[in-house]
Amino acid sequence: MVNREVLLRPPRHRVERRAILLWAARALGVVLPLAGALAVAHALWDAVRPWTGPGLLALAVAGPVYATGMPLWRYAVHRWETTDDAVYAAAGWFVREWRIAPVSRIQTVDTVRGPFEQLLGLSTLTVTTASSSGAIRISGLDPQQATRAAERLSEITGRTPGDAT
Amino acid sequence: MSWQRLDARMILADALRVLVSLLPGVLALLLTGFEPEPLAIGPLAGLAVWGVAGAVADVVRWATTRYRITDAYVERRTGLFVRTHRSVRRDRIRSVDTSARLIQRLAGLRRVTIGAGQMNTAMEAAFTLDALSKRDAEALRRRLTGSAPEPSAEPMAAFQWRWIVYNVTGIWALVTAAGLMWGGFWTAASFGLDPGAWLNSLADWEELGPVPTAATAFAAAVLLGGVGRACSFVTEHAHFRLDRIPGEEGGTILRTTQGLFKTREVTRDDRRLRGVTVSEPLLWRWMGMADTTVITTGLSMWSSSVSVLPRGPVRLARRVAAAVIGDPALGTPLRRHPRAALRRRLLWGVLTASAGALLVLPAGSTPGAVAFAVLLPPALGLACAGHLALGHAVAGDYLVVRAGAMTRATSALRRDAVSGVQVRQSLLQWRLGLAGVWAMTAAGEGAYGARDMAAAEAAGFASAALPGYVEQFRAGSLPADRTPLTFSVPGAG
Repeated sequence: MVNREVLLRPPRHRVERRAILLWAARALGVVLPLAGALAVAHALWDAVRPWTGPGLLALAVAGPVYATGMPLWRYAVHRWETTDDAVYAAAGWFVREWRIAPVSRIQTVDTVRGPFEQLLGLSTLTVTTASSSGAIRISGLDPQQATRAAERLSEITGRTPGDAT
Repeated sequence: MSWQRLDARMILADALRVLVSLLPGVLALLLTGFEPEPLAIGPLAGLAVWGVAGAVADVVRWATTRYRITDAYVERRTGLFVRTHRSVRRDRIRSVDTSARLIQRLAGLRRVTIGAGQMNTAMEAAFTLDALSKRDAEALRRRLTGSAPEPSAEPMAAFQWRWIVYNVTGIWALVTAAGLMWGGFWTAASFGLDPGAWLNSLADWEELGPVPTAATAFAAAVLLGGVGRACSFVTEHAHFRLDRIPGEEGGTILRTTQGLFKTREVTRDDRRLRGVTVSEPLLWRWMGMADTTVITTGLSMWSSSVSVLPRGPVRLARRVAAAVIGDPALGTPLRRHPRAALRRRLLWGVLTASAGALLVLPAGSTPGAVAFAVLLPPALGLACAGHLALGHAVAGDYLVVRAGAMTRATSALRRDAVSGVQVRQSLLQWRLGLAGVWAMTAAGEGAYGARDMAAAEAAGFASAALPGYVEQFRAGSLPADRTPLTFSVPGAG
């Protein structure tokens, strides 16, 4: 029996439970317009019904499953942690990813709040390094917590010499 | 240093350019007795207009452009209606190239391109000075990069005629042939010749039948394209040499010079060098063809400046790559990836072939089956090639990863250049016990990955890629405050 697990421990902190609503809202933001477009086409245009019919049916089954399953799955996976010398985050659902960046390589630390996030009282912490594909994005944080983490990281980064490349 | 003009010999070069661009038109008029083909007059008139307009624009540019070098900046002012003033900090300058077109070369002019590595902001050089005299260009380059004018005694690599073999093959040969034939046809037509009739008179095509005719045409196209490619390769890469020369502040610089008519010189600061990649295209693996590029910060990976050797034999590529990074890391035996990685690729191959068949299915079940049968063997072949290419290793200061079905790329990346790691695992990969580990870096492609390695080894490789930071997050280690953990990994069981 092969070991299937990536032998990294989960980061310490879960994200806020409200993040489930955020992800559900985002899922609906994809599913509903798609369903709407299909329904309009189905209602107005006879010729496409052989395609839109099964499409709508599939969406009716897969849409709710996606909009409830994905957020719960994400909530089980998404975790984060900062230590004195590194940032560590786990994210994803179907594809899980773990990212680790040394604080000494951090270039910018941002907190971002989109409209949905403001409504739900959430915040996203974005940590970028010099790599074009290296940003660590931790969504679903409590705004105060995110701000504190950002301030702490910026402070440690400021103490570390070097140009981070 | 005060504001300076570009070299006045530009005007001379422009006069020459006007002459050259008018020449074909005049010749055509003389030869055809001033009654040219109406269809052919277009390109010739276009050529003449292009020549004259270009020359006028050049003169305006000469009149309006000033440049100067101060202790901290290089500055350029240019433009007639839209004035631009651009300045680049000298310590940001990553490369200074000099090149010359044929006419500029005849006039003793050089075009200087100063690159400051706007990799993330704009896909262009910081600015160009077009053109300076050969002496000024050399002095400017030396002043900005501090490199010695004389090359070291023994180059790290120098032009070899047998490299031509590696550069005439491929799909571009056919494209070149098409371009040459199109150009030839119009040129001939403008001189009142009929190339179609000439081709018809070469052989009795009707009697040969369509298949031999097509085969002959294809062979002719390949031959013509090959010759075209060989010529362009020689003009671009003749006198190629790769040197490592002393740079400013005790550093060293990797320099390539190449070109028959147009000399192109590229310098790359060794302090920005982070690794090297050797890529081998699948179709030409049998002849050992390889490209050699450096992984460096500040140069876009799409820029040709990252290439330190023309396409050539893989053994030479590996030797030069080892010399460039001064480490035999690329030659390290790689750890192969588990067979499960092959299973994943085979599954994707079957899925791709099925998707292709599904697209044809509306046309009937027979075309669908045919499409599946045609697509499946190459898809499975690529899956096997992709699996055979996979490998990774940690070799001293370097991380070595190899992947790619169509083009197998082996990269050695310096471990101290890694600015983060990412481990990825999809549900299918989890089922197969696989995971991908990517080393993030500011240089080259931004991330170099060991795809589909054994999941159990992922944390160890990530730890080797980013020494000292990953250990604290490996399974079995406790968070900093030593709280006992009760964690559940989704899907574990």
